[in-house]
Parts: sequence; C-alpha cells; structure tokens
Amino acid sequence: MTREETLNELKKVIAPYTVNKEMLAGINDQTDLIRDLKINSANLVDIIIDAEAKYDIEIDYDSADRMTNVGSCLDVITEKINQR
Amino acid sequence: MISTGNDIVALKAINVARTKQQNFYSKIITETEKALYDEQFSDRLPFEQFVWLAWSVKESVFKYLQRVNPNLVFSPSKIKLAKLVAPVAGNASNFEGRDFNSETVYRGVFDISPHTFYSRTIITDDFIFSVVNHTNNFEKVMWGIKKIESPDADDQSKAVRLFALTMLNTFFPNAELEIDKNKHSCPIILKDEIEIPVPISLTHHDHWVGYSFQL
Repeated sequence: MTREETLNELKKVIAPYTVNKEMLAGINDQTDLIRDLKINSANLVDIIIDAEAKYDIEIDYDSADRMTNVGSCLDVITEKINQR
Repeated sequence: MISTGNDIVALKAINVARTKQQNFYSKIITETEKALYDEQFSDRLPFEQFVWLAWSVKESVFKYLQRVNPNLVFSPSKIKLAKLVAPVAGNASNFEGRDFNSETVYRGVFDISPHTFYSRTIITDDFIFSVVNHTNNFEKVMWGIKKIESPDADDQSKAVRLFALTMLNTFFPNAELEIDKNKHSCPIILKDEIEIPVPISLTHHDHWVGYSFQL
C-alpha cells in the first residue's frame, strides 16, 4: 500500500470524528488531529482502534502516543503494516 | 510549578459498549488500574465511568504539564493512578466555585515520574469533570461546568471563554480581559493585552464546557 493509498484510507477512519470535512479533504502530514480537524481528544482512542481494525494491525502504547498529526499516523500505520 | 488542568467527558457522547472492550480501555488504563477497579470500585461505579474518569484526570495532568513543557506527548499509560477515594455523600450539585466539597467528589492521586498530582472529579449522569493540582489543596482553584446549546466546535470555544471570563471578571472588575492561546496552543489570560500569571485550562465535549484557573 502506498502512502497516498494509506492516507485515503486514513481519511475514512477520521471522517466520523470531525465535522471539518473541507479540512479533511485537504489534509497533509502536518495536519494536527485536535488543533486543525477539531477532533475531540476523547475520540483519539476511537481513531486508534478503528485504524487497528482497518489495517489489521496492533498499535502499542508508545506508537499510539505519537499519533497526533496525520504524518505521524501514517508513519505508525506503515510501520505496523510492515511488521505484519 | 503553578499551572492548572481540567477535562470534561460528556457521558451521552461516549460509546459504552466500546469502552468496555479490552482493546479500547487498555489504551487508557493499565492492568494495575483495572485491578484496582475490580477490587475497590466495581460495586459502586460502572466500569465505563471508571475508564473515563481515568481519562479525564490523565488528560488534565497532561494539560497541567504541557503548559510547563510544551513538547510533552500525551501518554495515558505513563500517568498512573496511585489512589482513588470515592465520595461519601452522593452527587455534587454545585457546578461552579472555589475548591471542592470533598464529600461529593472522587479524590485521586496520580503519578507521572517525577511528579505527583492530586485530582478532584465530579460524576453526574451527564458528565465526568476533573481538575488536577500539584498539591492536595484546591483552595486557590476556581472551576466551573456548564451545559451549552450547540456542540459545534466554534460555539463550544466561544461559550467556554465567555463562561470563564464571567468568573474572571469578578476578580478583575475594571480590567479588559481576554482569553487567547500562546504559540503552543495553551490558553492564556490577557489583561489589557498583556498576559497575566493566572494559568487557565478550558475543556469542552459535546454539550458541556468547563474551565479551571489558579489564583
């Protein structure tokens, strides 16, 4: 899966938790989940769990802690896919 | 280290079934904290409320520390519940003020090396609201919780600022106060456009907003 394909799938994971659909359509590595997409912090665990299910991966504590912006989410997901 | 941190979780907005799933709650609480729940709280507090209580305190600790260390990463597993005392006199009915009635709130001790934090948590049918402090004395902590009409992010932001400013204005009656964010996204209070040393923390979730500030 290319980074762009992973990004397109990640948009679907994030979509239920943001009302900022315009911003979601144009997200990049620097897009912050809370500050830019206005995702409530209480939904961050939902995104991690949904990503685990979507990509059939397991995201450990330390990796989950890094998932604060789109770029770090893609890095973690790619790492875990490669470890399967 | 003077700061403040708080967090609110709207209970109508959480997914109860998902919270009870091991792969979900294990991202928020440790095995030791789960064991503490099983031993001391399973007969008085629904498990999902325990999980979100832990979340709200851990998020509050993060907000407290982030003001001092802007590069800090939120890591729920590294903020560890050491002690939790349940209220002895039912639910809190006061949703704004100074300090807390210790008989109606959960009182906790949480560690994140090398720091220890003390928490106060109010649980109602609608929300879980926590505030943390670096001492077990909350006499200088002002706080408030309010229900708002619209859960839209911009409306939440405006409503919580107006709510906090209303209380702040009672302490600075003739000043032009404003709540802004610093370059690290921490809320700050401006008096006549200059930041004042009164740390403030804001929170919102769904139809609920809250604030705390340290006098």
